[in-house]
Amino acid sequence: MSEPKYGPGDRVQILDIGKPGHVRTPTYARHKIGVIERYCGDFENPEDKAYGRWGGAPIALYRVRLMQSDLWPGYTGAPNDVLELEIYDHWLAPAGGEAV
Amino acid sequence: MNTQPPEHDHDHDHDDHRPTREDDDIELTEREATFLALKSLLIEQGVVTADEIRKRMEFNERGSPHQAARMIAKAWLDPDYKVRMIDDTKAAAAELGIETTEAKLVTLENTPERHNIVVCTLCSCYPRSLLGEPPSFYVSKAYRSRAVREPRQVLKEFGVDIPERVDIAVHDSNADLRYVVMPMRPAGTDGMSEAELADLISRDCVVGCALPSEPDNR
Amino acid sequence: MADKLITDIGGEAAGDVPRDDYNMLFWEKQMIATFNMLQTKQLVVTDEYRRIVEEMPADYYKNSTFYGRRLEGIVALLIEKGIIDREALAERTKAILDAGTRDHV
Repeated sequence: MSEPKYGPGDRVQILDIGKPGHVRTPTYARHKIGVIERYCGDFENPEDKAYGRWGGAPIALYRVRLMQSDLWPGYTGAPNDVLELEIYDHWLAPAGGEAV
Repeated sequence: MNTQPPEHDHDHDHDDHRPTREDDDIELTEREATFLALKSLLIEQGVVTADEIRKRMEFNERGSPHQAARMIAKAWLDPDYKVRMIDDTKAAAAELGIETTEAKLVTLENTPERHNIVVCTLCSCYPRSLLGEPPSFYVSKAYRSRAVREPRQVLKEFGVDIPERVDIAVHDSNADLRYVVMPMRPAGTDGMSEAELADLISRDCVVGCALPSEPDNR
Repeated sequence: MADKLITDIGGEAAGDVPRDDYNMLFWEKQMIATFNMLQTKQLVVTDEYRRIVEEMPADYYKNSTFYGRRLEGIVALLIEKGIIDREALAERTKAILDAGTRDHV
């Protein structure tokens, strides 16, 4: 297991890597910017496991926190409502800006 | 097919009047027949044994909302346990003798400032070891679609009105982690035992779709 | 950008959330336990099952039920892996339906 690339509070962008087939990054979260809530550990890549390619090197999984108002145009809940979801390392890029 | 419950025979000591198998009064469907065929082929081919399936069913039956409720009630009474449960939910389950099959479990604590709600938008990920099989609403396409986008509206429909001053955190259980919500201990529960407190915690509390009952409204 | 998966429905418009509970049928419990045993024996992994569901026709998915889909998915996966023979399964299913009883198993 290698050192996780991101730590809590780091700003990241969730990518759309355009990969067809089985992936675990919901469309609604792609292109959005959020912050790392926690590093969850390393897990085998589901994009390989789904096709019978088991036993590959585990990859880092992170919990990313997004503001609901950034996710949904016209979101009507409270301004600080958030959504968190799990994103694998290769679907993330540093977003720059100040860590929060 | 016999659709009537069997005649009750008073010569031996049954203590109830249910059919000998729970679905005996339900017509055999093509779907069930397909499963029965699949199972018999798997057993015949030596892929699984009937005993393994039976034992696994018994194991699965132990996963029920009561398990999560026990943990939460203990956490309400024992601050050290609460810290351990938030730190490592699987280990905290093991302390109570609950075996968990999930790779990683996370406890989400509700506070006066934050209410947590759990959904799996892509399928039906659910902490089965602590809650059993997911309820119909949780696996419904309507819940999976709407809980992320309009959690307050969905909660309102469930009879849970979260005031604007409380932030909502939606947790999409989309990959390898599974989540349990730890609700806040209701007022008026001083002096209640762990078992009494556990009775206040319903299945839906543990995914954030209900609040614990007040002691008088169980 | 790849096509959106049929299971990727977070944020879509939808009607009321159904609130009624249904008890699992006995065979559904057996099916889940059987599926779990296949996982324990590492003959199938969860992501393969998810992928098989994602490959189902969109209309089928839309109208499918939770346990119905589980059955279809397990069958498709075991056939794909060569663990179950499609014809043998069809034949056995027909025999069970013709007999109209659960008693042979």
